[in-house]
Amino acid sequence: MTNDAAGAASRDSRGGFGRVTLEVRQRLPAWKHGLFLAISLAAGLLISVAVLWMSGVGPVGIYEEFILYTFFNAKGLSNVLVECTPLILVGLSAALAFRVQFWNIGLEGQLILGGMGAAFFALNDFGPPETRLALMMIGGLAGGALWTLIPLALKLKLNVNEIISTLLLNYVAFQLLQDRLYGGWQDVDRFPHSPQFDVAERLPRIGFGDVDSGIYLAVLAGIVVWWLIDRSRFGLFMTFVGSNARMSKAVGLPVTAVVVGTVLLSGALSGLAGAVIVSGQEYRLTTTFAGGYLFSGIVIAFLARNNPIAAMLVAFLLGGLYVGGQSIQVFYNLPAGVIDLLQAIIVMCVTASELFVRYRIIWRHR
Amino acid sequence: MGTALSLRDISKSFDGRPALDQVSLDIEWGMVHALLGENGAGKSTLMNIVAGLYAQDEGRVFFGDTELTDNDPRHAKALGIGMVHQHFKLVFPFTVAENVLLANPQGAYGAGLAETRRMIAEQSEKLGFTLDPDARVDSLSVAEQQRAEIIKVLLGGARVIILDEPTAVLTDEEAQALLSTMRMLAAQGAAVILVTHKLNEVPAFTDTVTVMRGGRKVATAASKDTTPAELTRMMVGSAVADVQHRPPSEHGVVLEVQDIALTRADGAPALNGVTLSVRGGEIYGVAGVGGNGQTELAATLVGLQQADRGTILMDGEDVTPADTRSLRRRGVAFVPAERMAYGLAEDMSVANNYAIAGVDRGEFGNAVWTRRRRIGAATQAAISDFEIAGAAPGTRAGLLSGGNAQKLVLARELRDDARLLVVHSPTRGLDVRACAAVHRVLMEARDRGAAVVLISEDLDEIFKISDRIGVINRGRIVGEFDAPADRHDVGALMVGHA
Repeated sequence: MTNDAAGAASRDSRGGFGRVTLEVRQRLPAWKHGLFLAISLAAGLLISVAVLWMSGVGPVGIYEEFILYTFFNAKGLSNVLVECTPLILVGLSAALAFRVQFWNIGLEGQLILGGMGAAFFALNDFGPPETRLALMMIGGLAGGALWTLIPLALKLKLNVNEIISTLLLNYVAFQLLQDRLYGGWQDVDRFPHSPQFDVAERLPRIGFGDVDSGIYLAVLAGIVVWWLIDRSRFGLFMTFVGSNARMSKAVGLPVTAVVVGTVLLSGALSGLAGAVIVSGQEYRLTTTFAGGYLFSGIVIAFLARNNPIAAMLVAFLLGGLYVGGQSIQVFYNLPAGVIDLLQAIIVMCVTASELFVRYRIIWRHR
Repeated sequence: MGTALSLRDISKSFDGRPALDQVSLDIEWGMVHALLGENGAGKSTLMNIVAGLYAQDEGRVFFGDTELTDNDPRHAKALGIGMVHQHFKLVFPFTVAENVLLANPQGAYGAGLAETRRMIAEQSEKLGFTLDPDARVDSLSVAEQQRAEIIKVLLGGARVIILDEPTAVLTDEEAQALLSTMRMLAAQGAAVILVTHKLNEVPAFTDTVTVMRGGRKVATAASKDTTPAELTRMMVGSAVADVQHRPPSEHGVVLEVQDIALTRADGAPALNGVTLSVRGGEIYGVAGVGGNGQTELAATLVGLQQADRGTILMDGEDVTPADTRSLRRRGVAFVPAERMAYGLAEDMSVANNYAIAGVDRGEFGNAVWTRRRRIGAATQAAISDFEIAGAAPGTRAGLLSGGNAQKLVLARELRDDARLLVVHSPTRGLDVRACAAVHRVLMEARDRGAAVVLISEDLDEIFKISDRIGVINRGRIVGEFDAPADRHDVGALMVGHA
């Protein structure tokens, strides 16, 4: 039997193609990290341009729709700001939760509950008109935060994976919304939406296109989250818990309290996004106001690496992509899916850069 | 019957840390070969090289007369080298048969599964034990899971069978049965390698024994020619501790542990009634072979795990059940064995890792604003006090070498007002200079009046700085010695079947 085995040992197990080895990088200078990111982003943009070109939008068209008429034109820019207001808030919301490794996939449900919280105070005409808007915003914050209590309790008490619980609660939230809009909150016109809000229940315009003062709230939220993460004691705890929860526990940090606090805040910000949408643009609760914000929020947090300042920037650029996308849909007769496609291409390219950031790839020829 | 495997001058290091140093070894067909040594002696690393999981840095492996180049697990398996790992490689919600099928594909799934079931039944009958092929592996006891692993390896055609610490998880009867099975396989011509640190298994069940220590081979001998005393000496070394042992100062009792017990998640008892007490100004060394409850003892003392029964008193006050946060407020400091898992957050800076406990106590600004410049200055001071090489406050902690990472943990933990230090394997993987620095720092803490519990699998270290030594074996302190203790008495209790 030794002879058999010896014969087998001489066989070439890998053929003549050489061998690719991945070596874990011990360190990577910041500039190189940035370079990999820039290259991957450029690759993503290049592929996006190619896709658009194949769909009949030439380079000039792309420049006009996505840059000139979007960012360098008052109408376009104001639309971008309108678009990015809730995006900033959901992006911050996702970034906060992800920082403590709580995979909050329930942004949309929290956003719906936030919108409903705001509508609750508006439709019931709570308090004097002067404090109505403030109450609505608080209703939004509270609605979103309360909606995270369920997955939090499930996770802490029963160890239920939050990815599943938060995701499924989106559908529950949507059913709750439908229940109200086909029930007690339905408008007299019998369409599935609420009656219009009074003037005192609408966020005032800031005097630039359709932009409402929600943008101030979003930017303020960004600054507060930056302070919280970067300057406060709680923020340092948060970063430690997210980076190494076992170690955080061993040095005596209140790990559970940090996770609970952060997730509640994450839910509150998504809820605020809902309140801002219904009181800033729609002026009523509709069945569709929350659509799409889950994935946008995740994409923003991912591309911004959970950094609040970067999240605001990414939300702004993503807003531009959506606005430009809407006009190419109209002028070039392209399906709405094209924008999702572009977004996916860029995200995938940036994700791919992670391989080069983590590993050195060595190709050995035989 | 001929040589199955020849290892020649094998060296291997991990990230600059040598794990194996020029080890040569011959494994014969038809024999059970024991590979004996303490934790970290390099036994598992060597066997992982044979099984193709690791590539050696230097040296050659021969299978019969043929050199194995570019070995990998699939290649090793094709040659008939099978390894039962210490941590089983079973896929959990699946059945025994499905796991065996995964490792040994049989064509179409349905027919393959039927065939695999039949082969499992046949093989387990041959080996003289029972194993239900349709049982989900997560419903099996540890011993049964091990049987599944062994059958998996044998059905894969293994003729060289490597068992890594197979009896560590078994009861005495189960261990006896397993070892007899291995004897039988060897009698049928297979080569069996038994990686172990239990020397009582050597004379009864093995033909040849190789002792390893610190990544080197100490000796190979015929099992029947060895005595337990001799093996113990080879395993633990005979280095005489070069202690400049200062007598401990007299303080009151700081820590009193009374009869604590703890069960692991898999139901096996980890701590089995540990009782000990430590005075201030004293280093209490807990000696023992790894896996006898050390990790659980450390975790319980610092409140990361709660004992099932028993009490812990600090300064005479009952603190059970205690959480880490409140224990730390009482002056408990902790230097964990896995410094990258429990001691540091790798992705955070040296400064943040150093300051986090102080930030919690309010030393660097208030809750609203963290004084980062103050953190930077304090970290800089700690870096020079503790001679942490290659570190600036902004360096990512994960980039520090083992010794410097450990110094960073010590710098954070060793505050002047620390009452109790729980230190687990503080010098594992450190070079001589770093070891000396760590020991000096621990002695200084002791001299300031702190109670130090030093849990270590390194006997040299225990002997070098402990004032009292307790031996832990199977979750119990089985003996206590005042320093200077006799090394062989301690060694005998460590490996004995208490």
